[in-house]
Amino acid sequence: MWAVYKKELKTYFLSPIGYIAIGIFMLMYSIFFYLTTILLGSVDMGNLYYATARYGLLLIVPLLTMRMFSEERKNGTEQLLLTSPRSVTSIVLGKFLAAASVIVITLILSIIYSIIISFFGNINVPTIIATMFGFLLVAMAAISIGTLASSITENQIIAAIITIVALVAPWFLVDISKIFSSIDLIDKFMKFPYGLISISDVISLISITVMCLLITIVLIKRRKAVK
Amino acid sequence: MIQVKNVTKKYGATIAVNDISFDVKDGEIVGFLGPNGAGKSTTMNMITGFIEPTNGQIIINGNDISKSPRKAKKEIGYMPENVPLYYELTAREFISYMAELKLVKRNERKKEVEKVIEETGLKEVQNKLIRNLSRGYKQRVSLAGALVGNPDVIILDEPTVGLDPKQITEIRSLIKQLGKRHTVILSTHILSEVSQICEKVIIINKGKIIAIDTPENLEKSTKEKNGISVIVEDPKGNMKKLKQKIKEIDTIDFVKDNEDGTKQYVITTSSDIDLRKKLFEVLPKEEIVIFELKKTETTLEDAFIKLIDTVKVDENKNEKKKTKKSKEQNSKEEGKSESKKSKKEEKK
Repeated sequence: MWAVYKKELKTYFLSPIGYIAIGIFMLMYSIFFYLTTILLGSVDMGNLYYATARYGLLLIVPLLTMRMFSEERKNGTEQLLLTSPRSVTSIVLGKFLAAASVIVITLILSIIYSIIISFFGNINVPTIIATMFGFLLVAMAAISIGTLASSITENQIIAAIITIVALVAPWFLVDISKIFSSIDLIDKFMKFPYGLISISDVISLISITVMCLLITIVLIKRRKAVK
Repeated sequence: MIQVKNVTKKYGATIAVNDISFDVKDGEIVGFLGPNGAGKSTTMNMITGFIEPTNGQIIINGNDISKSPRKAKKEIGYMPENVPLYYELTAREFISYMAELKLVKRNERKKEVEKVIEETGLKEVQNKLIRNLSRGYKQRVSLAGALVGNPDVIILDEPTVGLDPKQITEIRSLIKQLGKRHTVILSTHILSEVSQICEKVIIINKGKIIAIDTPENLEKSTKEKNGISVIVEDPKGNMKKLKQKIKEIDTIDFVKDNEDGTKQYVITTSSDIDLRKKLFEVLPKEEIVIFELKKTETTLEDAFIKLIDTVKVDENKNEKKKTKKSKEQNSKEEGKSESKKSKKEEKK
């Protein structure tokens, strides 16, 4: 797992993708920082993370996940991975964790803004930590959806579009039926900015992540038999 | 040691590989030959565990590739067709990554990578991005990726495609060296390559093995007649009468008139007779001047084409038989059903 993880993480920063992802995050985060705190004179960081999760992840996650398996499949390097003694599970997990690590890097960078705010008022540290924890869970669920999308097509753009649609569609589908709110990741992030860690939200985010990764593993194994 | 037992691969209704079995012993260099689309790559992909066979078993050094893949895959180094590589890495980084993937221990990794770079002659370019390497070097990086971790079995899918003649000879000599320490399977459709490098040839066509033998034996077995090519000056036209003088001759075929007035003929005899000595004695007596006289050799190429053609002919025959049979069966069945009907009617 760690062999794939190290190589993937390195590749994010050998190509511009890692820097672009972090750049987009910081850009959006800064804009929302201005809109939600400076403009309103507020010290509440919750809205900031919520807005970044809602709109920022939509751009960053497809960027991080679209090439994961699509590129390997298109270039044939998939053959190198699948004929190595490593298991499919460890390959999928390695790639997933590498993408999640980029998100962790962005979250660490976001702490700077909390430090800035702390000079102007009292910030609520436990709330911010809870929010960041929620943000990471949502990002991981989104990455797992992206991983799955990337494993079903050779085309990176299609993989990216599938990921975006899977993230956005539930916002509108909720109007048709309440059931769709269960696959709306942002819906599960509502309570974290208030400092509330709801067990049901945590469990549903983790189960979405695990489910998507499992389907990815099964699909790749299945393709070995069909191909 | 590789054992392939009754392996079949189906894609829906089409059968890519049909019930093939063969063994490759330790230290052998085996060539996999066949026309395009014969099932070479499919078979190699199954041996390396990239795809799973529909039926059958593949055992590498006693480990079944689908039951204990970790152990079996550790013994294999694979260089796939089309040389897939990570272009954003340097040659050294790539080889090191492959070593890591292949479970080479951390403390041995550096030494192992160093050794493989030395072996494949990549020292000058080891720190260049793979993206910027020439085709020949890319091929070598891919080969290095297959060699790293010192696997027992090395599988090379068309290793010399797209290389210039010098690079081809280099890669070939490298493969020959590898054969001393590893078991090597390579696929190719360049026949001279096989007769130069390989100790054993497996010819595959339409998913079936049609021959397993040494290149020499294959050449011999397809040779039915001895041919001698002669270029002569024959002003009196005595060549045609030669058959009466030497009784062993089966045929004398005129090939062409040369510009300098000489003529070329091919003389054939049955395979166990060598007529060269006799021709040297007889031709001058008939006032025929010999310019050139040599044995025509059957090559692996002839063997290959002949084997594939015979399979086609057999198949045509079989198909005809089948259609005949099926027609007969149909008529029989019709007869049966008719008789059943009549029986039913009788019952009524």
